[in-house]
Amino acid sequence: MRERQTQERPPEAARGAARPAAVELAGVTKRFEDFVAVDDLTLSIYEGEFFSLLGPSGCGKTTTLRMIAGFEDPTEGELRVAGRPMRGVPPYRRPVNTVFQSYALFPHLDVFENIAFGLRRAKVPKDEIRRRVSEACALVQLTGFERRKPARLSGGQQQRVALARALVNRPKVLLLDEPLGALDLKLRKEMQIELKNLQHELGITFVYVTHDQEEALTMSDRIAVMKDGKVQQLDTPANLYELPANRFVAGFIGQTNTFSGEVESVRGERVTLRTAGGLELEAFAPAGREVVKGSEAHVAVRPEKVRFGEAGDNAFAGEVRDVVYLGSSTQYVVELKGGERLVVYRQNAREAADSGAGDEVWVAWDAANCLVLGE
Amino acid sequence: MAAQKGVDKGRGWSLGLAGLLAPAAFWLGVFFLVPLLLILAYSFGTSGVYGGITLGFNPENYLKVFDPLYLQIIVRSTVIALLNTLICLAIGYPLAYFIAFRGGSWKTALILLVMIPFWTSLLVRAYAWVVILGGNGLANRTLQFLGITDGPITLIFTPQAVMMGLVYSYLPFMVLPLYASLEKFDARLKEAAQDLGASRWQTFWRVTFPLSLPGVIAGSILVFIPSAGEFVIPDLLGGSQTVMTGNLIQQQFLNARDWAFGSALAVMLAVLMLGAILIYVRRIGTDRLEGV
Repeated sequence: MRERQTQERPPEAARGAARPAAVELAGVTKRFEDFVAVDDLTLSIYEGEFFSLLGPSGCGKTTTLRMIAGFEDPTEGELRVAGRPMRGVPPYRRPVNTVFQSYALFPHLDVFENIAFGLRRAKVPKDEIRRRVSEACALVQLTGFERRKPARLSGGQQQRVALARALVNRPKVLLLDEPLGALDLKLRKEMQIELKNLQHELGITFVYVTHDQEEALTMSDRIAVMKDGKVQQLDTPANLYELPANRFVAGFIGQTNTFSGEVESVRGERVTLRTAGGLELEAFAPAGREVVKGSEAHVAVRPEKVRFGEAGDNAFAGEVRDVVYLGSSTQYVVELKGGERLVVYRQNAREAADSGAGDEVWVAWDAANCLVLGE
Repeated sequence: MAAQKGVDKGRGWSLGLAGLLAPAAFWLGVFFLVPLLLILAYSFGTSGVYGGITLGFNPENYLKVFDPLYLQIIVRSTVIALLNTLICLAIGYPLAYFIAFRGGSWKTALILLVMIPFWTSLLVRAYAWVVILGGNGLANRTLQFLGITDGPITLIFTPQAVMMGLVYSYLPFMVLPLYASLEKFDARLKEAAQDLGASRWQTFWRVTFPLSLPGVIAGSILVFIPSAGEFVIPDLLGGSQTVMTGNLIQQQFLNARDWAFGSALAVMLAVLMLGAILIYVRRIGTDRLEGV
């Protein structure tokens, strides 16, 4: 009976037990002299997962990736790849491969030799090298380019060579360091979909570093949002967007309107807040987020969840200050009576009434879309 | 009309180009090409008994080059130059590698140190070695002081002394081009190689070294050619023991007054060097340099 009880873990941990971890970090800290790049990081990346490390530059995401690759050793803590502790294991003995930000293709070798580089080091028989390299070329649609030097390839083709060069070694974990950063927007969008499909097909664990929140949301199974060497929130893309843990995550993932005020009342998940400008806001606090009456709290509402009109838990009169046409939607900046500014998105449909700058309007949103943020 | 315009444009461009090239063309023409042709003409001439030269077509000078007495000197010079190149490469590569990758903020200062010998004339530096290696010189006195030898030993006027002097003089010519090509090396390529399973040793031989080949080639040529024709260092440090082709040519022009044979030797040396470099660049040069 006692044993049964210990086996009943919370759902998160149970899922982790069912899916073996490809990469585990336990209390990992990396210091460069005085600077703490990664601060006591603990997380598990599951096998076959598309995992992203997302954050602004200097948040420690690249350092984390470099520690997994073996280019840096953690100052403290333990790092395991496929269950094996990695301390002191050099990069060339780790079951991981990296797609570098600048591709780092060998300029003196042609496409074939670039892709074959890892296989040759592993002393794979010649026939098998030829077979696996042409398979890899086919996988990234580079068949026919085998004898080209990297200098004679386009940026997108170079990116594919870098990908094939890493994947051909069948790593347990593929590390990608902002691999699409150098490509133009259209190509980047195409490659995002291709990468995601490739990962799905091959079932290899991808650890993807990016500062582009849209890219992370599009491709990832789970995302760790980082800032100052710490994970701010580790969650699925939908949860990161809908239930951001704090003001940083709410502001970093997509656009948001935040209000600060004093908590007037707490009734279960319902919270009432009064801002300095005198607005009374009805908000929602997800389970586990502690809200104390009389304390200061921050709430966030996404621009697309605000409507024009008077029907809603929160409804305020204001004046349109700015209108920006964005194609599929229009962005309005509305100044409320208390002086707060609010961004509102509205889908562009023929029947939608136009509002111009200077118009008096009402804006409204529901308490369920007005989230109390943690610190 | 459009075609006319195009022609005008092309002519203006080539005129400008001619203007830019004129000083160099004039200089090289007068001070390089003319003397070279003169030497070529002399090499087929006949030397008079008291000096002077009669032009003509006399292949005897070239036949004389293949006399075992002289051929031996040419072969020895080439071997010495080759050895000098290899030693400079062996010493210079680690040095350039260290400065380029580990030099940090000291890079410029270290490269300046490599260049310092250039601030003094080669002749003065060669004489300094004469003083150091002489019978009662610094080297001998140090050896005796340390109790390694009892009396003065012969250090100067040996092939080893020549070799040492050559390596000393030509090392900077190897280090500078090597440093220039290693300095440009993208360190991320090393990480990429290690990421793909190459050990440090394999990373060096598969990535770093092939990519530094332009520097290796430039440095080798800069060391090999002048050291094959070197005459100051063998003259001062080799004495009559280690005569190189350069000394032989010098002797023919200044002492023996056989300008025709001296010219033939000079032409042969030039042809030999040209051939050696062509083979060298063909073998390891072009195909690897492509795309770098």
